[in-house]
Amino acid sequence: MTATSASLFDNRIEKPQRDWVLVALWISLALVALIWVAPFVFIVFTSLKSNAAVMGTSAFSPPVDPKFANYTGAWDRGRFNTTFFNSVIITAIKVPLGLFISAMAAYALAKIPFTGRKMLLLAVLFGTMIPFQVMLAPLFTLVNGLHLIDTYPGVILPYLAFGIPYQVFILQSFFRGIPKELSEAARIDGASHFTIFRRIFLPVSLPVLAALLILDFVSTWNEFAMALVLLQDRDMWTLPLGLSAFQGQFSRDYGQLNAAIVMTVLPAAIVYLIFQRYFVSGLTSGAVKG
Amino acid sequence: MSTVQIRDVRKSYGAHPVLHGVDIDIADGEFVILVGPSGCGKSTLLRMVAGLESITGGTISIDGRVVNGLEPKDRDIAMVFQNYALYPQMTVAQNMGFALELAGTAKDEIKRKVDHAAGVLGLEPLLQRKPAQLSGGQRQRVAMGRAIVRDPKVFLFDEPLSNLDAKLRVKMRAEIKALHQRLKTTIVYVTHDQIEAMTMADTIVVMQGGHIEQIGTPLDLYDHPKNMFVAGFLGSPAMNFLDGVVAKEQDAAFLDLGGAGRVPLAGGMSHTVGKSVIVGIRPEDIGIADTGGIPAEVLVVEPTGSETHLAVRLGGQEIIVVLRSRVALIPGERVHLSFNDAKFHLFDKDTKEVIREL
Repeated sequence: MTATSASLFDNRIEKPQRDWVLVALWISLALVALIWVAPFVFIVFTSLKSNAAVMGTSAFSPPVDPKFANYTGAWDRGRFNTTFFNSVIITAIKVPLGLFISAMAAYALAKIPFTGRKMLLLAVLFGTMIPFQVMLAPLFTLVNGLHLIDTYPGVILPYLAFGIPYQVFILQSFFRGIPKELSEAARIDGASHFTIFRRIFLPVSLPVLAALLILDFVSTWNEFAMALVLLQDRDMWTLPLGLSAFQGQFSRDYGQLNAAIVMTVLPAAIVYLIFQRYFVSGLTSGAVKG
Repeated sequence: MSTVQIRDVRKSYGAHPVLHGVDIDIADGEFVILVGPSGCGKSTLLRMVAGLESITGGTISIDGRVVNGLEPKDRDIAMVFQNYALYPQMTVAQNMGFALELAGTAKDEIKRKVDHAAGVLGLEPLLQRKPAQLSGGQRQRVAMGRAIVRDPKVFLFDEPLSNLDAKLRVKMRAEIKALHQRLKTTIVYVTHDQIEAMTMADTIVVMQGGHIEQIGTPLDLYDHPKNMFVAGFLGSPAMNFLDGVVAKEQDAAFLDLGGAGRVPLAGGMSHTVGKSVIVGIRPEDIGIADTGGIPAEVLVVEPTGSETHLAVRLGGQEIIVVLRSRVALIPGERVHLSFNDAKFHLFDKDTKEVIREL
């Protein structure tokens, strides 16, 4: 009884016990972030230094006298006008088109019953399993046979072929998770499959579409091996090819080389920043009783 | 407004039959409730009427037109789903006007119809909200609004109140009934809740295992169940069933309940003398007798306020008694039960079908 009343009237506020696992997690998070940020800081700093400053100062010391001329220099010498333009054209066509085709295919596989649906899904799944390096030689022969070497379609079509399967796979499993009553209600309301897809499924799938768009943009923007094989004319080169050539030619001009790297990476970072706000869960909340 | 005829409708998934030939006639403006336990085929039947499930055999006609091969949108029906199925990215007004928009209705007309339906359901202040910003009851009302806006020939409701809490369910029940009285549109409504069926329906269709057990008005089914399943399914607390043998003494038939005692039987049952039967008696048709009656032991006393539910042991069998009054009884106490013999339902022990009076 005494003990009970003592604890009842004890006014001292006990400190919550420190969760050491949480502390350890925070420390590891900070360490990992540091490891990831370090090269980026190194590249940005170096891109703003003269060669002398690169040699004379620590890699992580901020540039004292920022040399923005590295950027203009690299842009001109690396033929960024051409490569940047080519990359923009290829990515701007391939990424939205691929995503749209993938989403339509995924909708059909997830929501329209037809015979052979499972086999088709397996075939798509199989497509995600083939490493494209294995296919480079036959791909070249095929594209060459179609007289599409050094053309935009010649590189966009293979990009689509290799990009679509994994997007279809992810999207169809997402679409399967959308309550069937939503599409049934729309069918009763008079919507066709395409209307259901466009008006109901696409808006509901914004988070996953944004995630796929970012991933696809980054991988298309940075793609090197296939472009190297399929684009041989310097005027058709994409940024990674241009950067690689630049590295070969001007590898000792560290400032300009790193400026070129920053310019190559920047669009992907911007796209990420724009679309990451769609990474919000709960877009379907309120649709059905959760 | 329109009629629905369901003729010998069958449904199988592969070799597994779900509906074994169902016939229902639904009159213009009638409120029909399909009720039965999970897996009885009631939702499948409703979805077949809606066009969301294919029909394996038989015909479904709406307003005299066979709709078997028609798409849902061409059947002129509207459906309210159990989980609301509201379009999450659209506002309440857009949700309600979606069907009209797809049909190419003019914007002014859509707005007029949406406003009218919102007025009927008290949704005016919510029209610009998204479904996520609504409570369960409000969402259900929007789902109903979406159906009303289309002014369909038939409303289909698939367990629309199952996701609501008990209090809201009672409120929405009254609202749907009032809505039907106002709109007078034919309604086919599916539920597993017999109270919903009893309180709302013009006609109840009791289903079990893909068969129709009985069709009738709520009170007709309650008072004259065709078999033990219907008798036990409708009513809360459920009907009591006791094993007994019909016997006769000095020209009067009575029911021998084994060790529990004997109760007199109405005259029309004398043709069953000597037969082992199951007797069904509703909890409210049993009372506590001051004198006479059959002795029983009180097991549990459950006062609900308006009435008192007693679980008592009669012989070896446990039954429920509902008393309209408050009683001061305690578990273990002995009471004497009186039975309203006019309310007995005798069932054949083998077929479980009711034995009619002669």
